[in-house]
Amino acid sequence: MEIKNFTITKRDGTKDRFSLDKIMNAITKAFESVEEPADLGTISKIISHLDMKDDIKVEDIQNQVEEALMREGFYKVAKSFILYRQEHTEDRETLEKMLFLSEYMESMNAATGSKYDANANVEHKNIATLIGELPKSNFIRLNRRLLTDRIKKMYGKQLADEYIDKLTHHFIYKNDETSLANYCASITMYPWLIGGTIAIGGNSTAPTNLKSFCGGFVNMVFMVSSMLSGACATPEFLMYMNYFLGKEYGQDYYKRANEQADLSLKKRTLDKIITDYFEQIVYTLNQPTGARNYQAVFWNIAYYDKYYFDSIFGEFYFPDGSKPDWEGLSWLQKRFMKWFNKERTKTLLTFPVETMALLVDENGECKDPEWGEFTAEMYSEGHSFFTYMSDNADSLSSCCRLRNEITDNGFSYTLGAGGVSTGSKSVLTINLNRCIQYAVNHQIDYLEYLGEIIDLCHKVQTAYNENLKELQDHGMLPLFDAGYININRQYLTIGINGLVEAAEFMGLKITPNDEYKAFVQGILGLIEKYNKQYRTKELMFNCEMIPAENVGVKHAKWDREDGYFVPRDCYNSYFYVVEDDSLSVIDKFKMHGAPYIEHLTGGSALHMNLEEHLSKQQYLQLLKVAAQEGCNYFTFNIPNTVCNKCGHIDKRYLHECPECHSKDVDYMTRIIGYLKRVSNFSQARQEEASRRYYAHA
Amino acid sequence: MLKYVNTGIVFQEIPDEVTLAINISNCPCRCPGCHSHYLWEDIGLPLNPDALDAFVERFGNDITCIAFMGGDADPVGVNLLAEYLHVEYPQFKVAWYSGRLRIPSSVNKTDFNYIKIGPYIRHLGPLKSPTTNQRLYRQLPDGEFEDITSRFWRKVAL
Repeated sequence: MEIKNFTITKRDGTKDRFSLDKIMNAITKAFESVEEPADLGTISKIISHLDMKDDIKVEDIQNQVEEALMREGFYKVAKSFILYRQEHTEDRETLEKMLFLSEYMESMNAATGSKYDANANVEHKNIATLIGELPKSNFIRLNRRLLTDRIKKMYGKQLADEYIDKLTHHFIYKNDETSLANYCASITMYPWLIGGTIAIGGNSTAPTNLKSFCGGFVNMVFMVSSMLSGACATPEFLMYMNYFLGKEYGQDYYKRANEQADLSLKKRTLDKIITDYFEQIVYTLNQPTGARNYQAVFWNIAYYDKYYFDSIFGEFYFPDGSKPDWEGLSWLQKRFMKWFNKERTKTLLTFPVETMALLVDENGECKDPEWGEFTAEMYSEGHSFFTYMSDNADSLSSCCRLRNEITDNGFSYTLGAGGVSTGSKSVLTINLNRCIQYAVNHQIDYLEYLGEIIDLCHKVQTAYNENLKELQDHGMLPLFDAGYININRQYLTIGINGLVEAAEFMGLKITPNDEYKAFVQGILGLIEKYNKQYRTKELMFNCEMIPAENVGVKHAKWDREDGYFVPRDCYNSYFYVVEDDSLSVIDKFKMHGAPYIEHLTGGSALHMNLEEHLSKQQYLQLLKVAAQEGCNYFTFNIPNTVCNKCGHIDKRYLHECPECHSKDVDYMTRIIGYLKRVSNFSQARQEEASRRYYAHA
Repeated sequence: MLKYVNTGIVFQEIPDEVTLAINISNCPCRCPGCHSHYLWEDIGLPLNPDALDAFVERFGNDITCIAFMGGDADPVGVNLLAEYLHVEYPQFKVAWYSGRLRIPSSVNKTDFNYIKIGPYIRHLGPLKSPTTNQRLYRQLPDGEFEDITSRFWRKVAL
């Protein structure tokens, strides 16, 4: 080895002058530790094996030393050297964690402090959230290892390497890598209704009355959520509650809601008893729970018009042989919405995320006018919720993002209504902006290049599914075994992010125009082609435009660092540019209309940001616009004002508190699918939120 | 000839309607404190039946109302366009935001479902202000006009 002046690269990336003394020292120490004699001749011989070059990494030098020791037959010394390195690696990891710990404590809020997956659902930063953050990097490593081992077995090492390469170079992004659980599910509560929580490891038997239903429901949702990494939807919540109300107070209970139903001194009416149960359930489920890193559970519920109800629950029977009662449920749904809307002026309540399912006819009119009108009425009263509209009850949206095809509307005496059971096992997201730019810059047809990436994603998801099956085979997934979730009705989801940014790179205008439409259809159509190709009896794929609460920010940052065209600091989750003030409300409905979403089988919700609330008649017209344009999934966001001084909550978007006239106000809006105080958003998302355009109404 | 500078989908200007507002230039009113200074000059594209056909083609039944914002330099021209809309596209309501104190007698008011009159006077405020001089009228089935300006004032907390 020739000794000359050159530099080495240290672990933190900085350069240092090469020092032969340091290497000799380390080798001598290794010899001493196992009490082997080491003279200068031996050490020189070992050093002569080393192949040094400028900017060599410390790890590479150490690897070479290990090899040289073994080549010279000093196996004991080599082992000691390896152990010594391992100890130092562990020390460094601990140091890193300590550094993270102190940075986290100093950060502005929990979402900003989170290194791996910023999440505004964590309102407070404390010891419980810190405990949740610390092992995240280990989970990521473990998940990658589990997945690559499986890919190797199924498709060979080359594909496993390809996956890691595309992941570390940010062409793709694996969502929820910090958790081991499958992603989200809309559950059927029928197994709980007949067997309680015993089958999923709890100790409660089946609910028998209103009180045990309401108390047990909360516990059941907590248990289910602790075994998921994402949302838990209970589309039957109000239908079951209506059943227990009917059993307790008679099926026509709602006609007597104002009668006294309580012998206590409070003399509560039946209505008050019902809303007290609402209060108990909603407030409990909005508590940060220890099971999920001090987050509230991502709880979702659904409302139905009469047609959806008939289609999903038409064949349904309760264990006592009775059928669900539409009149009672219709009343209870309305009562819950009205109560929840009012309650939100007292407390900032994020959950449940609500979706209204409406069926429309070919003219875009609601088939159930009573529920169409009620939907418009609730929007005009300032309530914020999602609406899912379809001309066919063959699909349903179970949570704030995913839309799912209903593959089976039947009823089974063990699993209940088939239509409500759906969800996503895992999401793997394609960074379209990077993929397309990479292809164009390398003179490759971008659809051809995307085809390779999409194919890779499907193989990786298939491998993920095998791992999930193995967990299930070992009894690790009681939600599946007990029938809360039907594994065959769960999707493997291909997520997309950076679509608008990629289109901008291609020089397209982000307006309702034919070129942009063709671009969108080309990409989404390609993904759907692969989704169909990979579909088997046990594998179903869908494609979703992910909300990208934190990855939208990460992609923009990574792509910018690597020299790609990045037009904004957070990639959009819509088909239009969220800060664009030139698009009208109708343009946005068009851009989330049928031609754009037709291949987006997993859904994407239009978030119509408005400055002011509209009237009921105007919302009715906009429901019609949505139906006419084929925009099946949307919500209206008008930021609610929260006064930081007196705590007053106002449904309007104001710059001054109408009560105490303080200008120190915060807003409650949807960070992505769920409503949160803007000050709970991560730093980067707060900046994004401030750029959003709210249409002058 | 009437010309327009741009259009927008608006919700506040005409209560309960989803309105396509057409911003007409060459405004003679020149109210001190005007918020739409850009509409003072005689600029933009011709506003004629062809232009209206194109709007309807673009927005179809997504809108419920078409509003002429301005056009006081040629009130008869606005009237003719309103008439055209009612004949060709009876599904839409037609509104006119005029800055004049009164509608000239040459205009047939019944060709409009909504009429706003009154210049912007700074100290009296816009329609949203309860002290405003401006008035918004809605035509009733019997052809009479009802003052609905108070719809702009009930902005209480929801």
